[in-house]
Amino acid sequence: MGDTELELSPSHLEELQKSPSASSTSTTSSLSLPSSPSSGRHPFTSSSPSASEGLPASSPPLDVISEGVGELSLVIDTEVAKKACQEVLQKVKFLKSDGETTPASFKPVLVNGTAHNDSREGESGELNKPSKIGEEEPPPGSVKSARRRQKNNSSKQSWLLRLFESKLFDISMAISYLYNSKEPGVQAYIGNRLFSFRNEDVDFYLPQLLNMYIHMDEDVGDAIKPYVVHRCRQSINFSLQCAWLLGAYSSDMHISTQRHSRGTKLRKLILSDELKPASQRVRREILQPPAPCPPPLHHAPGLNEHGLSPSKRTHQRSKSDATVSISLSSNLKRTASNPKVESSQDEPVRLTPQREFIKSLMGIGKRLATLPTKEQKTQRLISELSLLNHKLPARVWLPTAAFDHHVVRVPHTQAVVLNSKDKAPYLIYVEVLECENFETSSVPVRIPETRIRSTRSVENLPDCGITPDQRASSFSTVPNYDNDDEAWSVDDIGELQVELPEIHTNSCDNISQFSVDSITSQESKEPIFIAAGDIRRRLSEQLAQTPTTFKKDPEDPSAVALKEPWQEKVRRIREASPYGHLPNWRLLSVIVKCGDDLRQELLAFQVLKQLQSIWEQERVPLWIKPYKILVISSDSGMIEPVVNAVSIHQVKKQSQLSLLDYFLQEHGNYTTEAFLTAQRNFVQSCAGYCLICYLLQVKDRHNGNILLDSEGHIIHIDFGFILSSSPRNLGFETSAFKLTNEFVDVMGGQDGDMFNYYKMLMLQGLIAARKHMEKVIQIVEIMQQGSQLPCFHGSSTIRNLKERFHMSLTEEQLQVLVEQMVDGSMRSITTKLYDGFQYLTNGIM
Amino acid sequence: MKSDREAMSQERKAGLLRRTSSSKKTLKEKVVLMYDEIFTKDDPAKSNPRFWDELFLMKVNLEYLEGKLESLDGDEVMVKENINSLFHHCVLALEDEHQIKVVNALQTLCALFRGVYQKNKSATGFDIINMLVGFDKAELRMKNLMESLDSLLCGDGSESLKSLCLKLLLCLVTVTDNISQNTILEYVMINSIFEAILQILSDVSSRAQHGYDAVVLLALLVNYRKYESVNPYIVKLSIVDDEATLDGMGMVVHQALTEYNRQYKDKEEENHGGFFSTLTNMVGSMFIADADEKLSVQTNEAILLALYEAVHLNRNFITVLAQSHPEIDMAATPVSTTPTTPTTPLGTTPPSLDMMHNPELPLDPNLQTSNLLITFLKYSSIVMQDTKDEHRLNSARLCLIILTCIAEDQYADAFLHDDNMNFRVNLHRMPMRHRKKAADKNIPSRPLVCAVMDLMVEFIVTHMMKEFPMDLYMRCVQIIHKLICYQKKCRIRLHYTWRELWSALINLVKFLLSNETTLLAKHNIFYLALQVVNLFNMFITYGDTFLPTPSSYDELYYEIVRMHQVFDNLYCMALRVSTNVGQWKEPASKVTHALVNVRAIVNHFNPKIESYAAVNHISQLSEDQVLEVVRSNYDTLTLKLQDGLDQFERYSEQPKETGFFKELVRSISLNVRKNVSLNTLSQDVLLKEFSSIS
Repeated sequence: MGDTELELSPSHLEELQKSPSASSTSTTSSLSLPSSPSSGRHPFTSSSPSASEGLPASSPPLDVISEGVGELSLVIDTEVAKKACQEVLQKVKFLKSDGETTPASFKPVLVNGTAHNDSREGESGELNKPSKIGEEEPPPGSVKSARRRQKNNSSKQSWLLRLFESKLFDISMAISYLYNSKEPGVQAYIGNRLFSFRNEDVDFYLPQLLNMYIHMDEDVGDAIKPYVVHRCRQSINFSLQCAWLLGAYSSDMHISTQRHSRGTKLRKLILSDELKPASQRVRREILQPPAPCPPPLHHAPGLNEHGLSPSKRTHQRSKSDATVSISLSSNLKRTASNPKVESSQDEPVRLTPQREFIKSLMGIGKRLATLPTKEQKTQRLISELSLLNHKLPARVWLPTAAFDHHVVRVPHTQAVVLNSKDKAPYLIYVEVLECENFETSSVPVRIPETRIRSTRSVENLPDCGITPDQRASSFSTVPNYDNDDEAWSVDDIGELQVELPEIHTNSCDNISQFSVDSITSQESKEPIFIAAGDIRRRLSEQLAQTPTTFKKDPEDPSAVALKEPWQEKVRRIREASPYGHLPNWRLLSVIVKCGDDLRQELLAFQVLKQLQSIWEQERVPLWIKPYKILVISSDSGMIEPVVNAVSIHQVKKQSQLSLLDYFLQEHGNYTTEAFLTAQRNFVQSCAGYCLICYLLQVKDRHNGNILLDSEGHIIHIDFGFILSSSPRNLGFETSAFKLTNEFVDVMGGQDGDMFNYYKMLMLQGLIAARKHMEKVIQIVEIMQQGSQLPCFHGSSTIRNLKERFHMSLTEEQLQVLVEQMVDGSMRSITTKLYDGFQYLTNGIM
Repeated sequence: MKSDREAMSQERKAGLLRRTSSSKKTLKEKVVLMYDEIFTKDDPAKSNPRFWDELFLMKVNLEYLEGKLESLDGDEVMVKENINSLFHHCVLALEDEHQIKVVNALQTLCALFRGVYQKNKSATGFDIINMLVGFDKAELRMKNLMESLDSLLCGDGSESLKSLCLKLLLCLVTVTDNISQNTILEYVMINSIFEAILQILSDVSSRAQHGYDAVVLLALLVNYRKYESVNPYIVKLSIVDDEATLDGMGMVVHQALTEYNRQYKDKEEENHGGFFSTLTNMVGSMFIADADEKLSVQTNEAILLALYEAVHLNRNFITVLAQSHPEIDMAATPVSTTPTTPTTPLGTTPPSLDMMHNPELPLDPNLQTSNLLITFLKYSSIVMQDTKDEHRLNSARLCLIILTCIAEDQYADAFLHDDNMNFRVNLHRMPMRHRKKAADKNIPSRPLVCAVMDLMVEFIVTHMMKEFPMDLYMRCVQIIHKLICYQKKCRIRLHYTWRELWSALINLVKFLLSNETTLLAKHNIFYLALQVVNLFNMFITYGDTFLPTPSSYDELYYEIVRMHQVFDNLYCMALRVSTNVGQWKEPASKVTHALVNVRAIVNHFNPKIESYAAVNHISQLSEDQVLEVVRSNYDTLTLKLQDGLDQFERYSEQPKETGFFKELVRSISLNVRKNVSLNTLSQDVLLKEFSSIS
């Protein structure tokens, strides 16, 4: 066994080490970094033991069944998937060996696999596996010959297998192998292995997975499809995300091929809504077998039926698995908590409400684009949204949110049209009610806008509130009202109108000091005198107290809305909302983009997110804010807005101050805690985004595309020009990133400590990013497949990207590089030139 | 004598019919013969068991039947029984599956109601019920009738039938001049058809066809014995919270008002067509009020009353006011719009049907997004222009009452002041000699409350006339006061040109002073003056809470100082009256007290300004110079805090407005009765429609 391990080729060793998570002992870094297996791998390490330990102990899963249904699917899946992986790997070995002439033995391999499992995890339960697999194998004769031919290859496979089964094997590596491996078996193995990762981890790579599914060969597709189908059955949200991404990433294909492509077919399948959880048949099946350990029993026949083709078999298996677990879970849930959902009639419309919701949002955007002025757009937007409100609440949600919820209301008057020349992106705020599961929790009941009146009426007049049901049943005869019922004399109705939210009942804080005085003066009857000068002074003081609100500008309606502090907005909207009193009320916001391709934005988001987690892992205090992107088609989507942030352009236009003066105005004087914190935030975010801009070659960096949040962070938005594309290819913005004198001023000048800190952060960030380069490259590289996006223009996109990580440089050389870039950017007249250009053409300061 | 003549005319009609029908129209003759039979024989069914069946198969001769009923001698017991029987069989026929019978029964019932009421005008309600239905059976018969009407209205049946049902109900409701004396409506109270009305309003297609009638019917029913007993329609209307229904109601009102505005605009354009017409218009208006006459499209009080009841009774309806409208009916268009009702709908301004169901808003960039409130404001601005005519005065008064209700409502105030809801509201302004008609396009897009303020200011400056509409002015000033109270309370700094309001108010005081003698004979002008002065006191003492800028506070002082003569005169006049003994003593002294701060300002700044002018040797100070003086002399000015400036009396219909509403409902009833016409629903159309159904 030791021998075989030694035979491993250097290339594989390298591959193993290159895979980021395996690099716990690799390159010495200047920064202390925690040993990687334990940190940052939590998702995997937590699920992997359960995967390998699940089999021997058959009782835990059963416990889980009796307790919570949610976990059940995971337990069974990982277990089965792991088994399947091993089978597939062995299959691979046979297939491989077919082509080779060297005699090989199967046995060592098997022993090998088991042995190393034992040695690593010390689980006797694993011993079951070989025998079981042996039983299932086709005629022994062929196996033997295969075994004989296997020998040489086995070492490589065992290494791979060890890697795949190791705790270090995470989703990033899985995606990488899926993409790079040319072996169908490995791909199929990984396809199965996907089941063992946490959903959230895989979701991050969903664009990559689907792009591979669309644009790569059939084996990859076959490996991915079972997982996707399985998840689609589980979740409406996932189904829709898949459908949207499939549509968007197929759009670059020729129409003719697109129509028959696998991506289009899968999309159709999902949208046909045939991928539903649970069918009656499957449920009966799992109920029949005696309690202990149903999945293995269930599998054995399946394997025999389907013979040798590994991909087909795994597909079948995972599918049945999926349905079993899902049906069980959903059935339990339905009967227990929400009997309404049980009716099979509401299943066909599983996806419809959400699709309709998105469709109407996009429709609004399209119609807005036809209107000439911002003012008309805003008015129209408000009225369109008020109509949308009539259809809410519904089983719809914002896919950009991090929690399950139902949308209950769109406070239409709060919506604003964003600045754009010919399209009409708009920002809406959405009131939602958090819930356990948006698919199964019941949709909230509609509460009319003026709830106080109606609740009151229902209480007082039980026999007058005629429900539609009563109405439908028969002609209603209203009893003669006895006149004793004074509660409903006309005057009382008038009085009810007086009773209104907060202000009327307890309005002390709303009444100015004077009114309080005036009330007390009634008692004392002594004349109270006031100075006219005080009134005038108070007026100017109060107006001065609120300098941070922006003035209303019909040409820039979003500025005011975005400037308002988020918490304040939430409070304000909550107060005005009929749903505001509910404890699970939340406010979300989303930008609806219609006519814009957000695929590049999504790519940038992924890269930013990846770098953010790398920096977090390497403890480099760089600050960036990846904002969520939802691609709905190749020309529409949604963006999660950055709250409490306005663009630097808006800041400068509204305040008429330099950036530094604005900081002083907003946060206080140089020495104040608030200013220093804001300054540090500014530096950390600036360094982060400078690196991003350099690595991704983000262009079109005018002040309208850089936001400043209330804590002093800058946030770059609009990644429409990255990698190989730049606006109009004018050759502007040749500097590495945007660093204006104003920025440097906020940092305290070129000689300040903060500026040095800034450069140091950049260096650390670059070193950290370099260490995990593969994880970044991988995201971009896979998305290049079959893509016509401008950011992939030309042939050298990936090579150039790799070069910008400067793998070959020493840290000292890197430091020099950073110095050079900072110097260059500061001195660069092109940045200034570009800002001037933007000012001339678009009026952006 | 009179009855003789009527009998003769009846004879003639019948005779005519007979003569012509003898050749061709035997059907008509037969129906008339059968009517005669009802009024002569013991029991028409005795000789012909199928008498009633046959009767309802024949086309109704409304005129004849009504006339016959009117000419009857009320004492004939036997006839009474036959009438009861006819009523009974009409009710029975309503449940017939033959639609023709239903139609005829509905029309016969209508004639019955009208005829019997016409005959027994002076009789008590109970006698009429006895005559029509028979006392012993009235409760059951009326219950059956209402149930049948309800199921017809709510069923999937013919639209024409529904229309007829509503007409019958309108006929029944308006059969007396004073709705509250119409005792038979007790049965409509007990057997509510409220739900049927709501259903019509909530459904898009039925609303388009019957919404108008339904809303008018509802408005009238709500006013049945409003102040004397508990009217279930009031109770129910006040608690409706179904948005589709409320929106539907709003839509009907919106359409009717829009239609009015459009007609007005058309007429206006007609009149101001070219140079010549403007010239003739000018000349014309100099001599005769012909141009005005042409411009006046008759107002629609019934729909306005419905809007009032909805706003006043139902708090949920307030939300409908702000609901944006042009594209509201996104739902499917009704199947067909043409065939059913070639009738002229009730009232005077028929809403055009095709506007009701606009499937999608045309993408016309010039098309302004509108809502019910905006339409109502425009309507009000037209109606308020001319209050000479009784109807228009009533309409203007009702408009102001509705605005009062709106201004008191917290939710309405919230959206009136919502900074995110900006609209251009093109109010109609009376053409006046001393000012040009503001170009429509220049109106900025502002929160809706600005339009309300504009409307109030517009009213104030255009109605200072001999026939001084005192109560309208009071309402107007109160509306402004309520809005300012809200702004003060919620610290809303409206960017409004307050100066226009100030100068309008000062001019109003000036007018009151110069017409003191004539006005005092009729009105308590001190009450109005007090309200106006208190508005200024609001600005002076609480300006810090709602004025938009410090300089607007300066401008307030500038305006007061500039017009100090008016305030001086008011003070003198009030002081004079208050020292005399008389009915105005107390209100006048209140005015003198209220003026304390205004006078303090005048007395404080006037000497300062004079000395400034003297020091700098300027005879006439510019505005900026005065403002400068004002700004630098605040600190030496002391004001007195006055009580209750930000308190107001809430609107209540009882008892102040009861008289107005009684008269209004009476006039609406008359108008509706005049216009409800069953004959116009052509029999041919119905026959055509039902021949395929049955």
